[in-house]
Amino acid sequence: MARSVWKGPFVDSYVLKKAEASRESGRNEVIKIWSRRSTILPQFVGLTFGVYNGKKHIPVNVTEDMIGQKFGEYSPTRTYYGHAADKKAKRK
Amino acid sequence: MTDPNDDTDDTMICVGAIAGAFGVRGEVRLKSFTADPLDIADYAPLTSENGEMSFDVQVVGPIKNGLSVRLSGIETREQAEALRGVRLCVPRTRLPALPDDEFYHADLIGLEVRDTGGTLLGTVKSVPNHGAGDLLEIAPPGTSETVLLPFTRAAVPTVDLAAGRIVADPPEGLL
Repeated sequence: MARSVWKGPFVDSYVLKKAEASRESGRNEVIKIWSRRSTILPQFVGLTFGVYNGKKHIPVNVTEDMIGQKFGEYSPTRTYYGHAADKKAKRK
Repeated sequence: MTDPNDDTDDTMICVGAIAGAFGVRGEVRLKSFTADPLDIADYAPLTSENGEMSFDVQVVGPIKNGLSVRLSGIETREQAEALRGVRLCVPRTRLPALPDDEFYHADLIGLEVRDTGGTLLGTVKSVPNHGAGDLLEIAPPGTSETVLLPFTRAAVPTVDLAAGRIVADPPEGLL
Protein backbone atom coordinates (compact mmCIF):
# COMPACT_ATOMS: atom_id res chain seq x y z
CA MET A 1 0.00 0.00 0.00
CA ALA A 2 1.27 3.46 -0.87
CA ARG A 3 2.26 5.86 1.89
CA SER A 4 -0.41 8.34 2.96
CA VAL A 5 0.03 11.74 1.34
CA TRP A 6 -0.71 13.65 4.55
CA LYS A 7 2.44 12.25 6.17
CA GLY A 8 4.72 13.72 3.53
CA PRO A 9 7.84 11.97 2.22
CA PHE A 10 9.86 9.94 4.73
CA VAL A 11 13.36 11.17 5.52
CA ASP A 12 15.48 10.17 8.50
CA SER A 13 15.90 13.30 10.60
CA TYR A 14 19.68 13.02 10.79
CA VAL A 15 19.89 13.19 6.99
CA LEU A 16 17.99 16.49 7.01
CA LYS A 17 20.27 17.88 9.73
CA LYS A 18 23.46 16.82 7.94
CA ALA A 19 22.24 18.21 4.61
CA GLU A 20 21.30 21.51 6.21
CA ALA A 21 24.65 21.80 7.97
CA SER A 22 26.52 21.03 4.74
CA ARG A 23 24.53 23.57 2.77
CA GLU A 24 25.14 26.26 5.38
CA SER A 25 28.88 25.55 5.53
CA GLY A 26 29.10 25.75 1.73
CA ARG A 27 31.98 23.26 1.72
CA ASN A 28 32.51 20.74 -1.04
CA GLU A 29 32.08 17.56 0.98
CA VAL A 30 30.52 14.13 0.85
CA ILE A 31 27.71 13.73 3.38
CA LYS A 32 28.00 10.18 4.67
CA ILE A 33 24.62 8.58 5.34
CA TRP A 34 23.46 5.09 6.15
CA SER A 35 19.78 5.78 5.50
CA ARG A 36 19.03 4.11 2.18
CA ARG A 37 15.30 4.39 2.91
CA SER A 38 15.17 8.19 2.98
CA THR A 39 13.43 10.00 0.13
CA ILE A 40 15.45 12.50 -1.92
CA LEU A 41 13.99 15.96 -1.32
CA PRO A 42 14.28 19.10 -3.47
CA GLN A 43 16.59 20.74 -0.88
CA PHE A 44 19.16 17.99 -1.47
CA VAL A 45 19.74 18.95 -5.11
CA GLY A 46 23.37 19.89 -5.72
CA LEU A 47 24.71 18.07 -2.65
CA THR A 48 26.82 14.93 -2.76
CA PHE A 49 25.84 12.11 -0.40
CA GLY A 50 27.88 9.04 0.39
CA VAL A 51 25.20 6.35 0.57
CA TYR A 52 26.22 3.21 2.42
CA ASN A 53 25.79 -0.05 0.53
CA GLY A 54 26.75 -2.36 3.39
CA LYS A 55 30.46 -2.11 2.63
CA LYS A 56 31.30 1.44 1.64
CA HIS A 57 29.77 4.81 0.88
CA ILE A 58 28.88 5.32 -2.78
CA PRO A 59 29.01 9.00 -3.89
CA VAL A 60 25.64 10.20 -5.17
CA ASN A 61 25.42 13.67 -6.75
CA VAL A 62 21.78 14.64 -6.33
CA THR A 63 20.10 16.14 -9.38
CA GLU A 64 16.55 17.32 -9.99
CA ASP A 65 15.40 14.17 -11.73
CA MET A 66 16.23 12.11 -8.62
CA ILE A 67 13.68 13.87 -6.41
CA GLY A 68 11.16 11.44 -4.92
CA GLN A 69 13.42 8.39 -5.31
CA LYS A 70 15.15 6.71 -2.36
CA PHE A 71 18.88 7.07 -1.75
CA GLY A 72 19.30 3.31 -1.79
CA GLU A 73 18.34 3.14 -5.45
CA TYR A 74 21.64 4.80 -6.37
CA SER A 75 23.86 2.65 -4.19
CA PRO A 76 23.72 -0.96 -5.35
CA THR A 77 24.68 -3.67 -2.90
CA ARG A 78 26.06 -6.04 -5.51
CA THR A 79 28.85 -5.42 -8.00
CA TYR A 80 29.14 -6.54 -11.59
CA TYR A 81 32.06 -5.24 -13.60
CA GLY A 82 31.35 -6.48 -17.14
CA HIS A 83 33.52 -5.41 -20.08
CA ALA A 84 34.56 -1.88 -20.99
CA ALA A 85 34.25 -2.46 -24.79
CA ASP A 86 32.90 0.77 -26.33
CA LYS A 87 31.14 2.08 -23.22
CA LYS A 88 31.50 5.80 -22.63
CA ALA A 89 31.69 8.02 -19.57
CA LYS A 90 30.73 11.67 -19.60
CA ARG A 91 32.33 14.19 -17.25
CA LYS A 92 29.59 16.55 -15.98
CA MET B 1 48.19 4.41 -22.10
CA THR B 2 45.84 4.93 -25.00
CA ASP B 3 45.99 8.24 -26.79
CA PRO B 4 42.83 8.78 -28.88
CA ASN B 5 44.81 10.94 -31.35
CA ASP B 6 47.39 8.25 -31.94
CA ASP B 7 46.51 6.46 -35.21
CA THR B 8 49.22 3.88 -34.65
CA ASP B 9 47.75 2.70 -31.35
CA ASP B 10 47.34 -1.07 -31.64
CA THR B 11 45.55 -1.71 -28.33
CA MET B 12 42.90 -4.36 -28.85
CA ILE B 13 39.53 -3.98 -27.14
CA CYS B 14 37.35 -7.01 -26.48
CA VAL B 15 33.83 -6.35 -27.79
CA GLY B 16 32.33 -9.84 -27.64
CA ALA B 17 32.75 -13.54 -27.08
CA ILE B 18 31.42 -16.59 -28.87
CA ALA B 19 29.33 -18.76 -26.54
CA GLY B 20 28.78 -21.67 -28.97
CA ALA B 21 26.75 -22.69 -31.97
CA PHE B 22 23.16 -21.66 -32.57
CA GLY B 23 21.04 -23.86 -34.80
CA VAL B 24 22.36 -26.17 -37.52
CA ARG B 25 23.20 -23.64 -40.23
CA GLY B 26 26.49 -22.34 -38.88
CA GLU B 27 25.19 -19.45 -36.83
CA VAL B 28 26.92 -18.70 -33.54
CA ARG B 29 25.65 -17.53 -30.18
CA LEU B 30 27.50 -14.27 -29.49
CA LYS B 31 27.74 -12.37 -26.23
CA SER B 32 28.11 -8.69 -27.10
CA PHE B 33 29.90 -6.39 -24.63
CA THR B 34 29.15 -3.14 -26.47
CA ALA B 35 26.91 -0.48 -24.92
CA ASP B 36 24.19 -1.35 -27.46
CA PRO B 37 24.64 -5.07 -28.19
CA LEU B 38 23.64 -4.71 -31.85
CA ASP B 39 26.46 -2.19 -32.42
CA ILE B 40 28.99 -5.00 -32.48
CA ALA B 41 28.36 -5.50 -36.21
CA ASP B 42 29.47 -1.89 -36.87
CA TYR B 43 33.01 -2.72 -35.74
CA ALA B 44 33.51 -5.61 -38.20
CA PRO B 45 35.83 -7.19 -39.14
CA LEU B 46 36.38 -8.61 -35.67
CA THR B 47 39.55 -10.51 -34.89
CA SER B 48 40.33 -13.17 -32.34
CA GLU B 49 42.59 -12.23 -29.42
CA ASN B 50 45.64 -13.84 -31.02
CA GLY B 51 44.86 -12.16 -34.35
CA GLU B 52 44.76 -15.46 -36.25
CA MET B 53 41.08 -15.31 -37.22
CA SER B 54 39.07 -12.43 -38.62
CA PHE B 55 35.33 -12.35 -39.24
CA ASP B 56 32.71 -10.18 -40.81
CA VAL B 57 29.58 -10.18 -38.70
CA GLN B 58 25.94 -10.30 -39.76
CA VAL B 59 23.48 -10.14 -36.87
CA VAL B 60 20.51 -12.48 -37.40
CA GLY B 61 18.67 -11.46 -34.26
CA PRO B 62 18.59 -11.36 -30.49
CA ILE B 63 18.31 -14.70 -28.65
CA LYS B 64 18.37 -15.72 -25.00
CA ASN B 65 21.67 -14.58 -23.43
CA GLY B 66 23.03 -12.91 -26.54
CA LEU B 67 22.76 -12.55 -30.28
CA SER B 68 22.50 -15.04 -33.10
CA VAL B 69 25.08 -14.01 -35.70
CA ARG B 70 26.51 -15.32 -38.91
CA LEU B 71 30.29 -15.07 -39.23
CA SER B 72 32.06 -15.01 -42.56
CA GLY B 73 33.61 -18.38 -43.41
CA ILE B 74 31.53 -20.34 -40.88
CA GLU B 75 29.04 -22.55 -42.73
CA THR B 76 28.37 -25.55 -40.47
CA ARG B 77 27.37 -26.17 -36.88
CA GLU B 78 30.66 -28.02 -36.27
CA GLN B 79 32.71 -25.01 -37.39
CA ALA B 80 30.58 -22.76 -35.17
CA GLU B 81 30.91 -25.10 -32.18
CA ALA B 82 34.70 -25.11 -32.58
CA LEU B 83 34.73 -21.34 -31.99
CA ARG B 84 33.21 -21.60 -28.51
CA GLY B 85 35.15 -19.37 -26.09
CA VAL B 86 36.82 -17.22 -28.76
CA ARG B 87 36.91 -13.58 -27.70
CA LEU B 88 36.43 -11.04 -30.49
CA CYS B 89 38.43 -7.81 -30.46
CA VAL B 90 38.81 -4.61 -32.45
CA PRO B 91 41.71 -2.15 -32.52
CA ARG B 92 41.16 0.92 -30.33
CA THR B 93 41.59 3.12 -33.42
CA ARG B 94 38.34 1.78 -34.88
CA LEU B 95 36.20 3.31 -32.13
CA PRO B 96 34.76 6.65 -33.28
CA ALA B 97 36.13 9.90 -31.84
CA LEU B 98 34.19 11.39 -28.95
CA PRO B 99 33.35 15.01 -28.06
CA ASP B 100 35.15 16.84 -25.24
CA ASP B 101 34.48 15.52 -21.75
CA GLU B 102 33.41 12.13 -23.07
CA PHE B 103 35.78 9.20 -22.74
CA TYR B 104 35.79 5.50 -23.47
CA HIS B 105 35.98 3.34 -20.36
CA ALA B 106 38.81 1.47 -22.07
CA ASP B 107 40.84 4.70 -22.20
CA LEU B 108 40.22 5.61 -18.56
CA ILE B 109 40.87 2.21 -17.02
CA GLY B 110 44.48 1.94 -15.92
CA LEU B 111 45.16 5.68 -15.79
CA GLU B 112 47.14 7.03 -12.84
CA VAL B 113 45.17 9.31 -10.51
CA ARG B 114 47.03 12.05 -8.63
CA ASP B 115 45.69 14.80 -6.42
CA THR B 116 46.34 18.48 -7.15
CA GLY B 117 49.51 18.32 -5.07
CA GLY B 118 50.88 15.46 -7.17
CA THR B 119 50.38 12.68 -4.63
CA LEU B 120 49.50 9.35 -6.18
CA LEU B 121 45.97 8.28 -5.21
CA GLY B 122 45.88 5.09 -7.26
CA THR B 123 44.85 3.80 -10.66
CA VAL B 124 41.43 3.65 -12.28
CA LYS B 125 39.98 0.15 -11.92
CA SER B 126 36.53 0.62 -13.45
CA VAL B 127 34.00 3.30 -14.39
CA PRO B 128 30.68 2.34 -12.79
CA ASN B 129 27.44 4.26 -13.17
CA HIS B 130 24.72 3.45 -10.67
CA GLY B 131 22.25 5.98 -12.05
CA ALA B 132 23.64 9.09 -10.37
CA GLY B 133 26.39 9.87 -12.86
CA ASP B 134 29.66 8.20 -13.78
CA LEU B 135 32.14 7.34 -11.06
CA LEU B 136 35.81 6.45 -11.16
CA GLU B 137 36.70 3.43 -9.06
CA ILE B 138 40.26 4.04 -7.89
CA ALA B 139 42.49 1.29 -6.53
CA PRO B 140 45.03 2.88 -4.14
CA PRO B 141 48.47 1.26 -4.13
CA GLY B 142 49.08 -1.42 -1.51
CA THR B 143 45.47 -2.14 -0.60
CA SER B 144 42.60 -4.16 -2.01
CA GLU B 145 40.00 -1.57 -0.97
CA THR B 146 38.81 0.84 -3.65
CA VAL B 147 37.58 4.42 -3.56
CA LEU B 148 34.81 5.89 -5.72
CA LEU B 149 35.22 9.39 -7.11
CA PRO B 150 32.42 11.27 -8.92
CA PHE B 151 33.46 11.88 -12.54
CA THR B 152 32.68 15.59 -12.53
CA ARG B 153 34.69 18.63 -13.59
CA ALA B 154 34.89 19.71 -9.94
CA ALA B 155 36.27 16.39 -8.68
CA VAL B 156 38.29 15.51 -11.79
CA PRO B 157 39.58 18.77 -13.30
CA THR B 158 42.12 17.17 -15.68
CA VAL B 159 42.07 14.02 -17.78
CA ASP B 160 45.30 13.73 -19.77
CA LEU B 161 45.03 10.59 -21.89
CA ALA B 162 48.29 11.25 -23.73
CA ALA B 163 50.23 11.40 -20.46
CA GLY B 164 48.14 8.60 -18.90
CA ARG B 165 47.24 10.75 -15.95
CA ILE B 166 44.17 12.09 -14.17
CA VAL B 167 44.29 14.97 -11.72
CA ALA B 168 41.64 14.69 -9.02
CA ASP B 169 40.39 17.13 -6.44
CA PRO B 170 38.32 14.81 -4.26
CA PRO B 171 35.64 16.34 -2.04
CA GLU B 172 36.22 16.32 1.72
CA GLY B 173 35.47 13.05 3.44
CA LEU B 174 35.84 10.89 0.35
CA LEU B 175 39.32 9.47 0.93
